[in-house]
Amino acid sequence: MTGGHEVVVTGTGVLCATAADTDAFADALRAGRSGIGVRPGSGVDGLSPRLAADLSGFDFRTAVAARSGLSEPLRRLAVRVAGRAPLPVQAAVVVALEGWQRAGLHHVPLPAERIGVVVAGHNLGGRYADEVRPRYATSPVHLPARYPLQFMDTDHVATVSHVLGVTGEGYTVGGASASGNVAIINGARLVSAGSVDACLVLGALTDLSAMELQGFYNLGAMAGTGGTDAPGERCRPFDADREGFVPGQGAACVVLESAGSAARRAAPVWARVAGYALRLDANSLADPSAAGETAAMAGAVRSAGLTPERVGYVNAHGTGSAAGDAVEVEALRAVFGGAVTGVWVNSTKGLIGHTLCAAGVVEAVATLVQMRDGFVHPNANLRRPIAADCRFVGDRAQPAGIEFALSNGFGFGGFNTSVVFARPAVPSRRQP
Amino acid sequence: MDDPVLAAIRRSVVEVLPEVDGQLVTEDRSLTDLGANSIDRVDVVTMTMDDLGVTVPVVEFREVHDIGTLARLLRRHVR
Repeated sequence: MTGGHEVVVTGTGVLCATAADTDAFADALRAGRSGIGVRPGSGVDGLSPRLAADLSGFDFRTAVAARSGLSEPLRRLAVRVAGRAPLPVQAAVVVALEGWQRAGLHHVPLPAERIGVVVAGHNLGGRYADEVRPRYATSPVHLPARYPLQFMDTDHVATVSHVLGVTGEGYTVGGASASGNVAIINGARLVSAGSVDACLVLGALTDLSAMELQGFYNLGAMAGTGGTDAPGERCRPFDADREGFVPGQGAACVVLESAGSAARRAAPVWARVAGYALRLDANSLADPSAAGETAAMAGAVRSAGLTPERVGYVNAHGTGSAAGDAVEVEALRAVFGGAVTGVWVNSTKGLIGHTLCAAGVVEAVATLVQMRDGFVHPNANLRRPIAADCRFVGDRAQPAGIEFALSNGFGFGGFNTSVVFARPAVPSRRQP
Repeated sequence: MDDPVLAAIRRSVVEVLPEVDGQLVTEDRSLTDLGANSIDRVDVVTMTMDDLGVTVPVVEFREVHDIGTLARLLRRHVR
């Protein structure tokens, strides 16, 4: 990218069905561990969704206590401010604390007004609203006093800024399933423009209500319509027998920082945000568009000053939906031409489900750990690939030295996004 | 033995403010004294109403300035 400050990633945090932090996530991805299962209490009549990749055994106080490298007052404040917050906000605080710690912002701080918070997501608390609704129905005055604060997605920005004492710019951004990349792009612009020195970009846990889940199911977008057996094999991105996405609970954080600020603080540099592009399809439907996806990927590669064959890896949007995966393959061919046979492609959603608004940030972390540790993770359940010319990772992780990676995010309503990460000259190492 | 209204207030305070010793919830103190912020105070009141099974119009809380006046207001509504 030309002009402005160079933007690097100095910290990460993640919470999903298979991992409670970045290093556990790297291990789970390398092992190809799946977090997909049957949601307790779901019906077996084929009329409603029953598969999910939910967090297992998440407890906010335990998760905050596990950040033992952070000061006790900070951990106490986190519990005080978010101890009774809905799950999505608690998840945001947990991943923000991990990102804060990994970026060393607790050791070598920045002025509070030089740090921003951009939260990816909208319509985040549907399930929490489901929990509160019966109380409203029986006695409106007994609605929890916090509800008017909590039902606004901006509660994520407010709560994280309160816990970390951040006073720079902050807001939520939305782009359906592309929200995560939309937030990374916005955070990168804040840093590049010099509006802040560092920006926490948070992919917010999208906790769908029963009605919202049913809506996706009725649309035919979700896996599980084809039968009720073998739940672990229902989500199969890029496979001929795919039947849709599985919703996943997940949240993630990337700390974007100007290269100058990172150098002054001697912060670890995971990668450089080398380029990005966001394109609309001028289409309000759920139909993916090869032209839009091609424009986003090609635009991102161009803005990084690269030619496509320099890209070694694509973290695909790859939800496992019939139309979406086929269109993404078409777009990959259009962008890479003959070089498509040399580019590793995998989908993180086959392992941890589709984390919806958080997906772009969760998958940025997946991309960054694969670059750091030199591997590409397996594709879940990929037995009959829909494209023989694409270099899909098989059922085992493969060693891979990735210099440039592309991370895709596409959303209903024609949101197409792609972000390019570049391995730094001096790569960050996994801490012992 | 505590009176039931004060006991209910105490339960709510300890749930909203886990760091507070329940013995400090007395009629001569205010919720602010105990470390409650603006939303914590409304939370305590809502949860206590719920606990006691009473509904009090929001306007009546204007007269409340400490735990004693809160308890007296709630007692008037408890049957």
